[in-house]
Amino acid sequence: MEQELLQQFEYETERWIFRAGLQQYSEARQVAQLCPRFAPDDEDEQVDDELRSCYNCQYRRWMMTSFECLMLKNTVLLNN
Amino acid sequence: MKNWLICIDDTDDIGTKGTGEIAEEIALLLAQTSGGKASFVTRHQLFVHPDIPYTSHNSAMCFALQSPLSQAEIHRLAVAHLVAESAPKADPGIAILDVDSDYDVHALIDFGLSAKREVITKEAAYQLAEQLQIQLTEHGGTGQGVIGALAGLGLRLMGSDGRVKGQIKLGQLEEVSLELTVAEILEQTGLDAVISTDKTRLAADEKVQLKGKVKAVYLEHQFVLLVAKDGELWRNAGKQALQDY
Repeated sequence: MEQELLQQFEYETERWIFRAGLQQYSEARQVAQLCPRFAPDDEDEQVDDELRSCYNCQYRRWMMTSFECLMLKNTVLLNN
Repeated sequence: MKNWLICIDDTDDIGTKGTGEIAEEIALLLAQTSGGKASFVTRHQLFVHPDIPYTSHNSAMCFALQSPLSQAEIHRLAVAHLVAESAPKADPGIAILDVDSDYDVHALIDFGLSAKREVITKEAAYQLAEQLQIQLTEHGGTGQGVIGALAGLGLRLMGSDGRVKGQIKLGQLEEVSLELTVAEILEQTGLDAVISTDKTRLAADEKVQLKGKVKAVYLEHQFVLLVAKDGELWRNAGKQALQDY
């Protein structure tokens, strides 16, 4: 996994949490560009006008102040 | 014809058909079967919390139905489709409300609002459903979907919550604006009103520039196209602006 991508997430209690938090569209779009597994969620669940954004990805699991990336959780676990 | 409100939740998993699509299919099935009429489907955001299991978003999908079918027939048809289309790992639930019955609407709305800000148990959902005589059933997995299904009814009844499922396609392109009057938009979409993000209701002859993905929201008990001012022009609101709904 790209180090640059991983750096955008905080690993805590077995979860990869997006450091930038909510409504940081520019960062979410940049990170999605780095991600080889980006997969758009159902259109009704997308919240960013730019399609390729972590905020629109089906692997993001919303939290109160950010989101957890389930793709990283699965991928990193598999690689380890 | 009787009036019903139907809501489903927790039907999907990563990579499977979304709950909104299943709700839309059930709405169409019930309307076609009975010669009835189904409304747009609305999506209602619920609380996101580590203690609540959800796929990626935790939202419930609700629609109104006018139909001569009995409650038992509606439930049988809806559940058959729900079970057939839900993901194997899902925890689906469905709630059916006879809108013309004598129920405590405020209790139901309060439940919906609570589900947006706190963790609620299945037991609490079943207790309220029994009290209000709402049919609430689970169909696989943990059945946790009954909480969102009941909450979705309350939020829809509140009248100012939720985005309308799907996009409005009037021929607008991704990069090129299409100009229509409010009257034309309402006529071509079946929406009820065009309202600005600061809650100003646009007049029928006002012009709106539509571009890209156009979505509606449920506001003031109406299906509404939300617009925002861009200089002197009205434009359809972007997804960021719709996030509050």
